[in-house]
Amino acid sequence: MITPFRSLRRRSANRSVLLALTGAGLFLASLDAYVVVTVLFNSSDPRASILTSLSIPANHFERATPIITGFLLGYLAAMPLAGGLSDRFGRLRVFALSMVLFAFGSLLTATAPNLGQLVTGRFLQGAGGGALVPAVLALAADLYPAGGRSPVLGAVSALQEVGSVLGPLWGGFIAGLLGWTWIFWINIPFAALLLWGLWPEIRAGGEPRREGQVDGLGVILATAGLAFLTLALYAAAPDRSPVGEGFFWQLPLAILFFAAFVWHERRSSHPLINIRHFRDSSFTGSALTNAIAGAGLMVSLVYIPVLANAVFSMNARDAALLLFRLMLGIPIGALVGGWLAQRLRSYRLVAALGLVLAGIGFVMLSGWNEGSLNPHLLGLPIRVADAELFLTGFGLGIEIAPVSAALLDAVGEAERGAGASFLIIMRLVGMLVGFSLVAGFGLWEFDRATVHLLPPLVGLNPTTATQWAIYTLKVKAAIFDEYHLIFRATAIALFVGALLAAATLRPLPRPRWR
Amino acid sequence: MLAGASRSRAVLASLAVIVGLGACGPQPPDAAALLKQSSQHMLAVKGFHFQMQITGYTGTGEPVQSAQGDAHPPDLHARVNLKEGSILLEVEVVFAAEKVYLKSFTGGWQQLTEAQLAAFFDARTLFDPQAGLFAAMRDTTSPVRGNSEKIADHDTYPVEGQVSAARVHQLLTLIRDQGTYRATYWVESPGSNLWRARLTGNLFDASKAATITFDFSNHDHPVSVTPPPLG
Repeated sequence: MITPFRSLRRRSANRSVLLALTGAGLFLASLDAYVVVTVLFNSSDPRASILTSLSIPANHFERATPIITGFLLGYLAAMPLAGGLSDRFGRLRVFALSMVLFAFGSLLTATAPNLGQLVTGRFLQGAGGGALVPAVLALAADLYPAGGRSPVLGAVSALQEVGSVLGPLWGGFIAGLLGWTWIFWINIPFAALLLWGLWPEIRAGGEPRREGQVDGLGVILATAGLAFLTLALYAAAPDRSPVGEGFFWQLPLAILFFAAFVWHERRSSHPLINIRHFRDSSFTGSALTNAIAGAGLMVSLVYIPVLANAVFSMNARDAALLLFRLMLGIPIGALVGGWLAQRLRSYRLVAALGLVLAGIGFVMLSGWNEGSLNPHLLGLPIRVADAELFLTGFGLGIEIAPVSAALLDAVGEAERGAGASFLIIMRLVGMLVGFSLVAGFGLWEFDRATVHLLPPLVGLNPTTATQWAIYTLKVKAAIFDEYHLIFRATAIALFVGALLAAATLRPLPRPRWR
Repeated sequence: MLAGASRSRAVLASLAVIVGLGACGPQPPDAAALLKQSSQHMLAVKGFHFQMQITGYTGTGEPVQSAQGDAHPPDLHARVNLKEGSILLEVEVVFAAEKVYLKSFTGGWQQLTEAQLAAFFDARTLFDPQAGLFAAMRDTTSPVRGNSEKIADHDTYPVEGQVSAARVHQLLTLIRDQGTYRATYWVESPGSNLWRARLTGNLFDASKAATITFDFSNHDHPVSVTPPPLG
């Protein structure tokens, strides 16, 4: 939990500069959260394809899964630790250490000759980026008095959200211009510049310190549980199993770690999250709904660009622009969702509406085929596909405000900081688990669909070209099968989330301040 | 502090000890003997792991970018990376009991006929006792031994020489068969394990250079390759 230091008061010009510099660091790191999704695979430009650079064959996409899960795991491991560490060692010191970790992770990623180094680099990037979030939020809380803190905290959170939404676009454009490694090279001078700007403040060490409560054991148990769960769900050989080969021993081990985490948290004097809150159905419901929405977002973030590259043969920039249609819907939906929840005085209705809309969007996406990017909507200059993507993002945006508010209401005023961190953590857990699950089952479905589909052998007879064309069509059909399954499964999860939200979220509290 | 003269004496004495010790140590075998011993040794081992990488200009007719696997010649199991435009695709090949099996981009294992194999990548010839790499070591001309080098934490001597293109063409039929190519072998001594071999020259085009590098490990670890289930 993050506790603001009341004694830290700086001159207003100074604090604006501090907030601007640390906010810029947070934005830089959040850009990299999902930056790889548009540069994983590219059939037209090898410079913009991580898979080609690392000699990972395109027909073994499962080997790319840890590039995505590695970052999320690093983020989840570091985020709960950093709040307490910044209490103990100072916000700016933790910020500086996180930036160094993020820059070092970027260096490892940019220079990776193999998958092992790349995943390590992404894990460290995630750890640095994850640690920045509570450090910067806590710094903002220190710098501004309780009465005027909310807009600043809101702006910092928004910076992080906007950064992560723009990341795939940023990645697509940089990779298209200079190659994918530049996405990560660029971080290093920027991080150095920010640290240089903050150096006088860091060196002055004027920040008050106190005995920060770092629940190290809680973080270790939760991270170990998540790591084993991720391993259990990682389908390294999807032709044999839709989950990991060690599923039957890794899953029980993950459950054991989670049980130990719960046991420890109940006894800890400074728990990461107050376990008693789970008795409140509104808290549990909003936490689970948030995780399901996170899974939906992750599926769209990863699979729209990969689909664009693999089937529609788009380059990195065009794939990023296709995804942008969906991403654009999220902030617009978020604004509408907040307004609607206030207007209708109902979290459950608006959250369920958002999840149903997103689910309908995924149902529409699950009907896509090779010609789906062509038809225009009622003669308008936008395509049906654009509208479907926007609707999906819009729905995912609508649920953010009511679900977040329901959880924060459930934890109460005193634990709002911990509640906000828990919201981010649950969203990331949903992203990690949801993505791991659909990735494995999707590839398993592809292998099942192509188990008897043998490619013609090159140059053996005059009909090879025709046979090859038929084979390519059948492979594309199997890829669509895979995507249809992934999108349908996501739609079902979102509909379940809608039911959960409708059944559990409490109405808005009466405004007592009026 | 030592005086100038006594310091020189100390340096000279140290040098004399080093040179003396060096003279007492075993002399490395000459280049031709190293190649011959290593060739015989590698043909006799119970198995090994290999990794092959092709870099430089390969043209459009050469789809193989890399291969890795385990072999006990003539049997082997390898994963082969093929270039298809700017993307890579992996296939698996098994050579077992004089039959050839392929697991392509999709679908299960299929058995290939000799005619089908001829149009593909016949990895059997890589380590064939008559036509393969270890046989080519024996036929390397003008071998010269270099200074000791560490390869995969093992002390090896690089031996550089020339191999006729016609000889290398037997190894991989896609390689041009005119002229000569430069070959370097890193042979462990003592012991005769071959840890690395490199072929350089205009392998796939008359005017553009390419390199094929083989890395070996797990020498003499038994390798047993069984036919995979079809379908």
